[in-house]
Amino acid sequence: MDDLSMHRLDVDGALAEAAEPLGGVSRAGFLGASLGTSLALLGLGAAQAEARQGASDLDILNYALTLEYLQAAFYTEAERMGALKGRTERAAQTVGAVERAHVAAFQDLLGKQAIRRPSFDFQGVTEKPQAFLKTAVAFEDLAVAAYKGQATNIKAESALAAAVAIHSVEARHAAWMRYLFGANPARTAFDQPASKQEVTQIVRSTNFVTGNPSTKRKRAPRFTG
Amino acid sequence: MHIGQGALSRTEFIAAGAVAAGAAVAAGVIAGPVEDTDAQTDKDVEALQLLLLLEYTETAFYDEALKRGDLSGEVEAYAQAVLDQEREHLAFVRKALGSKAGEPPRFAFGDATRDPSQFAATAAELEDLAVAAYNGQATNVSKPTLEAAATVVSVEARHAAWIRSIAGEPPAPDATDTPMSADEVRQGLERIGLRS
Repeated sequence: MDDLSMHRLDVDGALAEAAEPLGGVSRAGFLGASLGTSLALLGLGAAQAEARQGASDLDILNYALTLEYLQAAFYTEAERMGALKGRTERAAQTVGAVERAHVAAFQDLLGKQAIRRPSFDFQGVTEKPQAFLKTAVAFEDLAVAAYKGQATNIKAESALAAAVAIHSVEARHAAWMRYLFGANPARTAFDQPASKQEVTQIVRSTNFVTGNPSTKRKRAPRFTG
Repeated sequence: MHIGQGALSRTEFIAAGAVAAGAAVAAGVIAGPVEDTDAQTDKDVEALQLLLLLEYTETAFYDEALKRGDLSGEVEAYAQAVLDQEREHLAFVRKALGSKAGEPPRFAFGDATRDPSQFAATAAELEDLAVAAYNGQATNVSKPTLEAAATVVSVEARHAAWIRSIAGEPPAPDATDTPMSADEVRQGLERIGLRS
């Protein structure tokens, strides 16, 4: 066992920076032709129709979207910080583009039922190559376990097909980041799943998520004119 | 086959692969003594046969490459680590199939188990194929089999990214891993060296 799990991450609270809002991430801009095509081939349109029928599939897809928001924001911030070099920088760019494509796919799939992007504070880990890689490993390993934990909960067949097709890509990312970090890319013969509760608890313990947007206005706007 | 053998092996398959399968295991134990039909669907067996063929090929490929002794350094370390894991996968799938598990086929891998750069290219092809094969069967199988297979597929994806990293190829070239049908997987395995 190594110590790369999310809850053991050494996130230095003293380096807390104002969280990048990350609201400027353009969906269309990052969805390259090949990414768009591969997602379309999975029949996400069909998944959308089926998903609407099951409340639990909607919950699962929004849960997946949350994890993708987290990952996309992390890589996007790392790119903007410009502290990564060489193959780590290239990996961050490639993986970031893919995570943003996953976000876009789930947003399209969920339509108006998609939860909104939370705000994040990565506490400086995007500014130091080693801290970045360590966090990337933890995120990707967690994503693998999270998708795996939902495999048997998904009802709609096309939603399952989409989830498994993303699940293995997260595993590729995990191995890639582990390789760059100098850790064993495949440390066991069987990857174990994690429940939504476990994953949520781990994400919460990092304090990377600083705010969840409310879905409704709590107060009426004030008119001064 | 013995009555209940399928159910037992299925129970073990689940227990080895998943921590949260308590209810499914209990269902298998209850259904076990009566008939095998409830334990594994025909589609489960069909899917597992394909995955068995895949795991046989992977194990044979790495085993032959290491026995020939022409790999070194990072590539050799990869082959050794992955062979150990493929052996575990093979045992896992064989156990799940019980008496329905066939014997190992024959292979002719040619220079791919000798020349290090050919080895890396073929290993990447084989691991990518494994990912596509498992993903392709995800929607064909019962939930207990899916739960178990899911613990394997991500490890195959890790292997694919690992050897691609070593070879300087993109470890994760696409946003999604496209699934493959059983026929496509068989053709891919034949291209790599499956002979019978």
